[in-house]
Amino acid sequence: MPKTETETPKMKPRPIVRLGIFLISHSLLVSVVCCTAGVLALLLLPLLAKNTYISENALMPGSASSMISNRDISEANRLASDLSGLNFKPQDSAALESRRILTKYMSDLGAEVSYHKFHHKPNQFHPLHFFSSPDSTSSVKNLSCSAHGVNTVGIIRAPRGDGKEAIVLVTPYKFGKSSAAETLSLSIAYTVFSLLSRVTWLAKDIIWFVADSQYGEYAPVEAWLRDYHTPVFTGLGTLNADRCVKIDDPYVFEQKSIVQRKISDGFRRAGTMAAALILKVADRNEMLEDTLNIYAEASNGQMPNLDLINIVNYLAVHRQGLRVKVEKVLTLLDSRWLEILGQIFELLGKVARSLNPGWKFGISAADYIEGSATLASSLYYQALGIPTGPHGAFRDFQVDAITLEISPKVSPHNKARHNEFLLRGGRLVEGVIRSINNLLEKFHQSFFLYMLTSPSKFVSVGVYMIAFALLVAPLPLVAASLYADANQLDLGVKNTKSTPTATASDELDITFRSWKWLYAAKEVFLIHVWGAAVSLLPYFICQIPNCSPTSGSAIWVFLSMLSLLILYLIVGSPSTHVSISQSEEKGEWAILKSATISAVFIGLLVMSVVNFAAAEIGALLLVPMCLMAQPLKLDMKAAKLRSFLRIICNVVLGFVAFPPAAFFVVKTIFEGFDSINMGDFWNWMESLWAWNSATYIYIGMVHLPCWVLCLHILLHSC
Amino acid sequence: MLRLILIYLPKTFNLASRPEVSTPLVSLRRLAEGYWLKQSSISPYAGSMYHGSPLLLSLLGPLTVKRIEGQPNHLLCSDADDSLHILGYSLVFVIADIISALLIRATGHTLQMAYRQSLNSLDIVDLLKSSDLLSSGDIAALVYLWNPFTIAACVGLSTSPVENLVVILALHGACKGLVPLAAFGWVMATHLSLYPAILIIPVILLLGYGPDTPPRKLFLQKGYGKNGDSHPSDNCGQQETSQSKAEVTFSWRPVIHFLFWSSLWSTYVLVLCIISVKPHGSLWEMFQRCQLDILSFIISGSDLWINEKTYGFILTMEDMSPNIGVLWYFFAEVFDFFRSFFMIVFHLNILFMILPLAIRLKHRPCFLAFIYIAISSMLKSYPSVGDSALYLGLLGLFLDELADMKFSFFLLCGYIGVSLLSPVMHNLWIWRGTGNANFYYATGMAYACLQIILVVESVSAVLNHDRKLRKLSVTKLRDGNS
Repeated sequence: MPKTETETPKMKPRPIVRLGIFLISHSLLVSVVCCTAGVLALLLLPLLAKNTYISENALMPGSASSMISNRDISEANRLASDLSGLNFKPQDSAALESRRILTKYMSDLGAEVSYHKFHHKPNQFHPLHFFSSPDSTSSVKNLSCSAHGVNTVGIIRAPRGDGKEAIVLVTPYKFGKSSAAETLSLSIAYTVFSLLSRVTWLAKDIIWFVADSQYGEYAPVEAWLRDYHTPVFTGLGTLNADRCVKIDDPYVFEQKSIVQRKISDGFRRAGTMAAALILKVADRNEMLEDTLNIYAEASNGQMPNLDLINIVNYLAVHRQGLRVKVEKVLTLLDSRWLEILGQIFELLGKVARSLNPGWKFGISAADYIEGSATLASSLYYQALGIPTGPHGAFRDFQVDAITLEISPKVSPHNKARHNEFLLRGGRLVEGVIRSINNLLEKFHQSFFLYMLTSPSKFVSVGVYMIAFALLVAPLPLVAASLYADANQLDLGVKNTKSTPTATASDELDITFRSWKWLYAAKEVFLIHVWGAAVSLLPYFICQIPNCSPTSGSAIWVFLSMLSLLILYLIVGSPSTHVSISQSEEKGEWAILKSATISAVFIGLLVMSVVNFAAAEIGALLLVPMCLMAQPLKLDMKAAKLRSFLRIICNVVLGFVAFPPAAFFVVKTIFEGFDSINMGDFWNWMESLWAWNSATYIYIGMVHLPCWVLCLHILLHSC
Repeated sequence: MLRLILIYLPKTFNLASRPEVSTPLVSLRRLAEGYWLKQSSISPYAGSMYHGSPLLLSLLGPLTVKRIEGQPNHLLCSDADDSLHILGYSLVFVIADIISALLIRATGHTLQMAYRQSLNSLDIVDLLKSSDLLSSGDIAALVYLWNPFTIAACVGLSTSPVENLVVILALHGACKGLVPLAAFGWVMATHLSLYPAILIIPVILLLGYGPDTPPRKLFLQKGYGKNGDSHPSDNCGQQETSQSKAEVTFSWRPVIHFLFWSSLWSTYVLVLCIISVKPHGSLWEMFQRCQLDILSFIISGSDLWINEKTYGFILTMEDMSPNIGVLWYFFAEVFDFFRSFFMIVFHLNILFMILPLAIRLKHRPCFLAFIYIAISSMLKSYPSVGDSALYLGLLGLFLDELADMKFSFFLLCGYIGVSLLSPVMHNLWIWRGTGNANFYYATGMAYACLQIILVVESVSAVLNHDRKLRKLSVTKLRDGNS
């Protein structure tokens, strides 16, 4: 037992305990070293990125030659011209007609065609959605019948399959008012679809899902997936469906009279989805060559399996000669300091290679800048937790999906060029589908947790976790050392053993002190409750009719302040709880700080599991602030250079770590000072909670309370 | 009441289906299933769903059936209507929780009285000043009521509040010396979840010696000290010696009473069980199984017959669905032919610790009971947060003794961290598919480690406390002598 150990004079604790004590007693040094190492490791990540490789052998991308023929392409062109011929008609009839044409073409290929009605629902506020399973029951009610769209689904049954698995091909299409690019994407999909209806090697069913994108591209896909995965039994489901059936009736009848075969208005299913590809053609034209943009980030920073991106990248680059791009932060590309950093790393790499030719970790400065810009955008989009496209809906159902956005080089009116483009796109999609078709199990071989630094380079979880771990590591150490200091616990390093013959009053004191943290814990808990309340406030602010983003954020800030004030008035200024003598005043803020740091640690740890990127960015902001925080009054009294510097650091960090301030600072850096607007923050937060981002909960319940607590420590009266 | 409001939440939270809250033994849905089977005159154990006690079935069953009749497809959709029935149902649990809190409070008062008395008899009154504004019983009751674990167990509609209630009933009865109550609580607790069977030792000690006191040696020492010194007030010393002597002696009468009552109650419970199961023709089946289950037969020491479907289920660990314990993963991994061996090892794990602890802590039976509950909730086959709610509530009872416990802050942080991480890891494993079972099991291990630290630290804190008392009384004696 620990206490008996102290009684025997020369009892040495075990090495691991001694190591722990050593670390705790040098927590200042350790934390400085760890934090710098953490930031440095983050900057090193583009250097440490590995080349992607295809990890699942069954995929065998590109091993079979493409089978798309000119017949498929001419069919697709016919479909495209039929569809674009409708553009001059009024919108409603054009929508009906285009849907009819599409259906006809699909069913001519021998596919089963069905319609899927969905109702557009406005964004709702349910921030705790993350913890509940993706349930279907919550959103059935209160749908207006007016806002609905109709998706068209075509299914090809695989001749070799047992109907248990399927591959999904999604093309968003605005029925009735489509652009040329959308028609082009439709014709690429049709090319592939018509080929696949003839091939014999198909082992998985193919679902071609033409999403009615008049309410955005995400909503129809999400609605369809939800219906696909919820078995509807007789009774409730039909009841709900019937409610709006009157509107659709004429339309359904009309459809039936025209194309009788194989159209069902019931819901058609194929097996579980192995993967999904969302195919889009960008409106803009590229200067140099056909390019392919890959979007992969799903909700809460989830990524599809890396193998899926690998296949697409491999096929696009090595077979079709497309240029593959992933999103990057453009302003970082010409930033000065990054260039300098890149040159330094390049130099280091050269030096290392001159020392030992086997070391190859240097990359050129240009590569470094490119990589870090991509990494930054990867980090940002994962941290936001908002899906970057309709593929996000698939990930919620554990289906790997990515969006392929192809931008053609020249305008699609050039006939020969047009056909070549169709051929390339079609071959790419065909190759990908053929690879996935080979798959025996779900994607599981490659990584799920990774960040891309270029389409063919990635940083895996094992590498990027190091940066985070280094950043977070000082937190428990500092918390422990503060706690020990405040309690004047003997850690065995100061050569003063606790006297075994302590008097009764001393022991009472110790007793009292060892539970003193309860007050600090209570305070931290209260502030966190306040944080939860603040993050629930927008729900009520949303109810206020026609409220602009600016006024919304103003109300929000005002209410939060008010509630904080009320909290202080009710509970009383926390320093009045314990009236301890002056000597222990120091202990009070130290214990408060240690409790705060523990809360930050737990919060960051949980968040790093939920959404790593958000935790990383949050740690960059929070950790220095929490570690630096010290009452300003103490520094004022000291009036030395060091304490002065500390004051400045504290004020700056305290400003930057405030979530809105951080948002605006980042925005100013990237977009210039002019574009700042109070409403922007509101809009940003609104997008976060509308997409059920866990980042929102993190900001509300970890970041903001901890910021308040740090401010409280800064302004502590002692 | 807070939790009545919280009852409305589970629609989004789905607490009732969370593995942390409802295990195969305590889940309400399984109980509803069992009741439904019983209604259609099949043995409730016919399916593999229900494993609880038949008494609980007839007690709580009617409440669940209302739910089912009122909302035929309540499993598919959670309409607003059935919240009314949930309300009625959860009311039972809320009441159970409140009663347990009241009982804890009463027990706490008894314990504190005993503590003060023993301190008084040792002349260390100044220590009492430390015991602060609230008495430990109040704090324990508040801790029990406001513990998030308790609330989760209550809102999650598991039957563990009822089980906790009977355990506390047994302790309370033993503390107050109400033999029939203690016997009833113990028999019911054992009947409901088997593990409280080991509480028979603390209960007997409690009845024999009375509530927690400092070690007996102290009183003897003191007695000798008083005797040895030729103080004018010799009578007083003599009196006190006799008093402490009287306290020391183990009184057999209540223990015999207890055994008698417990056998009485257990036959009663058994008869009730038979009655409730009889109409469905499973009596013979059950009876046969009783003969088989010798182990439980020995433990109970009386003619408590055991239904294999409940206790066999607990002992053989059939259902290996994930929970916060450490056994499911192990038995999912272990080879089949080692299974029975490890089963015995794991269950003996609990039994191993009984004897040493009983010898070391025999002067503090209540604390011993707390340690037993903590250990068994750590090592039991289907732990849930309701179990930890019970021992965390009891922890508050020993506020004075545990005042200088170490690592308390660390433990609190650990509990918060684990209880936040565990659902996230589960989500990662089940819903997002990016994690695997190891992630979730890691939190289970961390949780078990926390419990171990808690047990070790609390035991060492209590022993230290005893040591401190001895030191104080010795110095007092010396002062008195000189």
